[in-house]
Order: sequence, then structure tokens, then C-alpha cells
Amino acid sequence: MNRSEITEKLNTIFPTVFNKPGLSITESLTASDVDGWDSLTHMILISEVEKSFGITFKLKELNKMKNVGDMIEIIASKL
Amino acid sequence: MVFTSLHFFVFFPLVCVLSYLTPARYRYITLLVASYYFYLNTKPIFLLLTAGITLSTYAFTRLMDATPNDDRKRKLMWCNVVLILLPLFFFKYFETINREVMQLMAGLNLSYPLPDNHWLLPVGISFYTFMAIGYTIDVYNEELEAEKNIGIVALFVSFFPLVLSGPIERAGNMLPQFRSPEKLAASNLSKGLKLMLWGYFMKLVVADRLGIYIDEVYSDTASHNGSSYLIAMTLYPFQLYGDLGGYSLIAIGAAKAMGFNVMMNFRRPFFSVSMSEFWRRWHISLITWITDYIYTPLSFSFRKHGKWGIVIALLLAFLISGIWHGASLTFVAWGLLQGIFLSVEAYTVKSRADFRHRFGLGKQAWFIALSCIFTFSLFAISQVFARSSTLSESFTVFAKLVSDHGNPYVDFSNLTIGLGFLALLMLSDFRDEFLPGKFRIFDNRSFAVRFLAYLAIFFCIVIFGVVSDQFIYFNF
Repeated sequence: MNRSEITEKLNTIFPTVFNKPGLSITESLTASDVDGWDSLTHMILISEVEKSFGITFKLKELNKMKNVGDMIEIIASKL
Repeated sequence: MVFTSLHFFVFFPLVCVLSYLTPARYRYITLLVASYYFYLNTKPIFLLLTAGITLSTYAFTRLMDATPNDDRKRKLMWCNVVLILLPLFFFKYFETINREVMQLMAGLNLSYPLPDNHWLLPVGISFYTFMAIGYTIDVYNEELEAEKNIGIVALFVSFFPLVLSGPIERAGNMLPQFRSPEKLAASNLSKGLKLMLWGYFMKLVVADRLGIYIDEVYSDTASHNGSSYLIAMTLYPFQLYGDLGGYSLIAIGAAKAMGFNVMMNFRRPFFSVSMSEFWRRWHISLITWITDYIYTPLSFSFRKHGKWGIVIALLLAFLISGIWHGASLTFVAWGLLQGIFLSVEAYTVKSRADFRHRFGLGKQAWFIALSCIFTFSLFAISQVFARSSTLSESFTVFAKLVSDHGNPYVDFSNLTIGLGFLALLMLSDFRDEFLPGKFRIFDNRSFAVRFLAYLAIFFCIVIFGVVSDQFIYFNF
């Protein structure tokens, strides 16, 4: 799965988790750009991404995710 | 040595001068000697603790950096975390656990008394232990490289503005500043001294004045009625804000005057419209530390359980925070209450947002004011547990609050001074929150206005300040 396919799949997860139907992600998107993306919803997002891609993150990787681009990078390294 | 002692008023200017006279690359040595001297003045033997924590943290982080094996790295990280937590556990919990276990064993007709621990809690131990743990985990997570210069690590653990009560700083912010400190700048000196002055005002004029009334009411539960407790309960959050908020500003200002930028610890907490917002503005360095090193790993472990996993992680994180504040049931109750408040908010976040949106309340001044008052009330009620000596005392206070009314105890002079200057502090926070850039007094363009404003604050401290060498958070 390449980066654009990962992005496409993430584009179906983000709007559901944050309850924002029109939300479209970019690689530079960070938590501060999305209303409601806090430490609580972040863990729900992580869990949904893991389920959807059939992967498991390490806590260490979680700490390295500073934006969506980092998340895509880590997902790609696991597929 | 504490910030309000005469000793400090001689020590601090001297260290500032010496620090700036030292070439930048050796400045950490001057500051380390000064910091060790500062801590030595609390109780000399406790310096062994800071030195021990430094040595252990330095050795383990270097070993972690040298190993490519993640499993081994994790073991090294845990070794250091457990090792440096041992003194904190011993000093903080040994006596309570010893007493409880002995009581339990006495009930079973067994008696193996262990010697009592007569040592006082080394002041600041939890703060520098937390800083060292944070640094260790950051190195494990590969967010930082282990520092090779042990002098820099020693300074990070013992840096005198922060060593007694924080802010609980991060190695990622402080180590680069210690390696290459800023050049002497009059603007840093002036900004730092202004922060310190405001910090002394918050501590000595507001917190300690209000503290006289609150201490009196809480010292004699039997003779004070519910009305007095209502006043004391309402004032206690302000006393805490003045005490730890004031302490933090003195610490941040002292560091700034020497050219170091330390994180803010409070951001106008009483203008929060929810408890989750409140905890992003109150004791920020502790709460972000708990979020990063306790809540996040816990909620990560429980993530498969969705919202319930988050609720459990929140409850556990605040329970740990409560127990950190004190080994007593009152702090367990306090921590659990915070966890419950935040869990309820996390669970209802969407419905509350929908409600605000539906009736267009989000920007209504009256709704914001009511939300601030409601949030403050929740915090003030929870603080009854933190302020009481025992759980039964807390319940006595709550019972009096609902049933025992009458004329309150009034300490006219202390309350008038305390409340008058509290109003000034709150007006200043109100201006910063809602009208930034307006009514500029302390940052007025005219030097004369600025000078007179700070001079007035200085005289307020001299005339109305309470002579004090105690800070509430020294107990933690």
C-alpha cells in the first residue's frame, strides 16, 4: 500500500472519529488544526487506525507522531 | 534556602553577576556550584539524593544510548525509574505504610515493629525525581540523545530556581539552554525581575493573607460554622494559586533573569469553562508530565476498550496524582474526584458541544461566566479534601456547609487586605484573558508609568506582605 492509498483510507477514519463529515486530511495536519482532537480522542483514533490497517503501534511510535505525515510514514513501515 | 529568605536576596544577585561573568561554555559549572550550595542550605545530607539521582540517571541514559537492543533499552529505562523512585517512596510513604501494616498485624496478634522514619521529606524530591524520570523516558523514546556531560545532567536535576517546587521542566527544553546559554541581555534581567516581583506579590500579599483566615478556620473544626467554611472553601483555591502560582513566577523569573526560559506553570486558571480546560491551565508542568508519562501509556494500553479505556486511564492517572500529593485517603478522594470530573466531561463532550451550538451559547458572556463559576466551584469543593487533615474532617466540613449556618468568623484586617489584593490579581488576569493589549499599566509605553506601577507593587509587598518561609508545595 503506498502513501496515497494510506491517505485515502485515513480519509475515511478521521471524519468518523472526530464527527466531522467534511474533514479532509493533509500530511501537515496536526492535532491543533482539528477541533476536538485532544488526548482523549487521539487514543480512539489510534485504536481505529490499528483496527482498520490490521497493525499494532508501539508507544514509542505514538510519541513520534507529530503530524499526519508521521502517522502515514509509520503505517507504511508496517505494511 | 527559600525564595522569601534574606539569604536568597543576597545569594541571587551574586549568582546572577557570577553567572554572567563566567564564559558561556563554563556557565553551567557556576550554576551547578550555586545550585548545590542552594540545596545544601535546606539540609546538607539531602544533597546526596540529588547527586545519587544524577549519577544513576546519567549512567543509565548513557547505557541506553549505547545499546541498539530495544528490549535491553527498556530494561535499563525501568531500572533507573525504579531506582530513583525508591528514595521518594521511602520518604513519602514508608511511615504511612509501616503504621498501617503494623496496625493490621496487631489486629492479628503479630508484632514486628520496624524502626520509625524520623527524616523529614527532602524538599523538592518529587520535583527533581519527576524531571529525571521524564529525561530517562525521553531518551528511551529516542526523543533525546543522552547528555554526555555529567555536569549538565547534574545542573538539570538541581537547577536552583526549579529544585524546590518546579516547574517540572523537560530535558528537551533545559539541556540545550545549559549547553549554550544566552548572552547577557538587559531585557532578560528586566523581564525576570518583573516576573519575580509579581510572584512575590501573589505569594506574600495574596496567598499568605488569605492563608491566615483559612488556617484559622481549618485549625478548629469544632468551633467554626458552615458560613466560615463556605468562605474558607471559596478562598482556598485562590490561596493555592497565589502560593504555587507565585512560587512558579519567582522561579521562572529567576531563571529568566539569568537568561533561561522555563515553561509557564499557570495560565489564568479561574477563567476556564470546563474542568478539562482548567487542568490545561493549572499546574501545567505537573499535568503535562502526568499526561505524557502516566496517562498516555495507560490509555495506550487500554485503547482497545474505547471510551472506557480512557475513563480508566484518567481515573488511574489522577489517583496516582492524588497519592503523589499525599499518602492519605483525603488525597485519594481528591484524585478520584478529578478523575471523575474529567471522565464525565470526556463522555459528554459531544452532547455538551451540541447543546452549546444549538442555543448559540458558546460566545454568550453570561454563559461563559456561569461556566467559569461552575468549574471553580467543582475545584473548590474537591479542594476541601486536599485541605482537610482526615477524611472524617472533610465530611464534617461538608456537613457544616449544608446544615450549620450562622454568622461567619470574620478576621476583618486580613480579609480586607487579602481580598483587596486578590481583586487586583484577578483584574490583571481578566485583562490578560479578555482584553489583551488594553489598559496597559505594567507594560505601558511610558517608562514613568511602568516604574511607578512596579514601585507600587514593591511597596505593597513591603507594607502588606506576610513574613513567610513556607510554601504549600514544599510538602509534596
